[in-house]
Amino acid sequence: MTQRPARSGKLLRFYPKAYREERGEEIVATLQEAAEARVPRASLSDQISVAMYGVRVRLGLTSETMFGKALDIASIPGLVMGAFFGTYLLISGDLPVVSSRFFYPQFGPFLTVGPLFYLVWVLGVAVVFEWPQYRRRIAGTCMSLTIVGEVLAKVAHRNPNFWEIAILVSLGLPSLLAPDVYVTRRKVVPSLSVGLATFATLFFVSESNVNPGFFNSFYWSGTYEIVHRQPYVDVFLLALFAVLWITKRREVASAALILSSPWIIVGVAYPMSLQYLRMDSLNVIALIAWAVAMALIVTTSRYRPRPPASVDLSTLNSGS
Amino acid sequence: MTKEMREPTFLVLATLAEGKKHGYAIIQGVASLSEGEVDLKAGTLYAMLDRLTFDGVIESVGEEVVDGRLRRYYELTPQGTTLLGEESKRRVKVSNIALRRLRFVGGVA
Repeated sequence: MTQRPARSGKLLRFYPKAYREERGEEIVATLQEAAEARVPRASLSDQISVAMYGVRVRLGLTSETMFGKALDIASIPGLVMGAFFGTYLLISGDLPVVSSRFFYPQFGPFLTVGPLFYLVWVLGVAVVFEWPQYRRRIAGTCMSLTIVGEVLAKVAHRNPNFWEIAILVSLGLPSLLAPDVYVTRRKVVPSLSVGLATFATLFFVSESNVNPGFFNSFYWSGTYEIVHRQPYVDVFLLALFAVLWITKRREVASAALILSSPWIIVGVAYPMSLQYLRMDSLNVIALIAWAVAMALIVTTSRYRPRPPASVDLSTLNSGS
Repeated sequence: MTKEMREPTFLVLATLAEGKKHGYAIIQGVASLSEGEVDLKAGTLYAMLDRLTFDGVIESVGEEVVDGRLRRYYELTPQGTTLLGEESKRRVKVSNIALRRLRFVGGVA
């Protein structure tokens, strides 16, 4: 093994052991050569990029793994789902407030700043349709504005329900974490159907003042109750995952599971946060099944050493 | 691999069209081909090398130690050569159309 400078060597800690053993020396050598040729700032950015890629390899978030591919597939549909979810909340929870705002004249047309967040997500989706390659920045912007807005609005007691915002923000995660691959508009158009399906499902199974069903919105943005229909949604989502997985469309199955995550988690977390809500045991079973399936995907995506390439050293005399 | 190819990927493959190269030589090749416009970071390079190897577009063809540093060499596979050829033809075709149109309106050339 060649001598490895301490600073560059430390960066390899970000990589899984198997990757380190396979590529570590090579990466350090490239870093050293780059550092000798570049200005210090460029050298630092080299090191940051190596560290970030190490984290991606360790978490299985590269374009070669199932997890990475699933995140790529789920990325734009996730943003679209967020926009449609926001639109649904606006229709079911916020717009009715306008008609009854004389009860709360001090708050203006809406009781919370939720509609502003939804607008951000709808605009974000409009931008991602035009420039899908910027999905990570767009998702980051939507997520940041929503989180910061929620915190600021909480001070004025005008924040939407925490769990609603948690779902919204987590729908941007696939875009944020997806590997850096080329995204074309062809991937954008089918995601509209995911958004429409989300909207239709929410409308069908939710419960609000305009639509009795899944979420029960009490005239203000984002306050909802999860009722007994949620397990049916969970069972459907898990069945969809199982069918896609069994029929060997495993990357799409994993993407579907990733997009199901916030709904399944909140189905248990939300009742847990409230004393008066009864938690449905089917929701808990669905959460356990989800966790097992996610563990399967993550385990499948762990880095594994490649078989050694056939090496013909005689061809290397000229070097490069 | 998707049919569309991003500029950095194209530049890496074009660099390897010259022959087998190791990590830093690829970075230099990309910078040279792009006249300094594309400054490939080491982390980005290895992400690309992993992806292109996985897709069967390039392959590792050996390694050697130079000045105490390990160099692993990469070259285009037959599939990679075909892919680069097709992409190059596509780019030339589009460029030719653009140049013809520019000549028609008296723009350039």
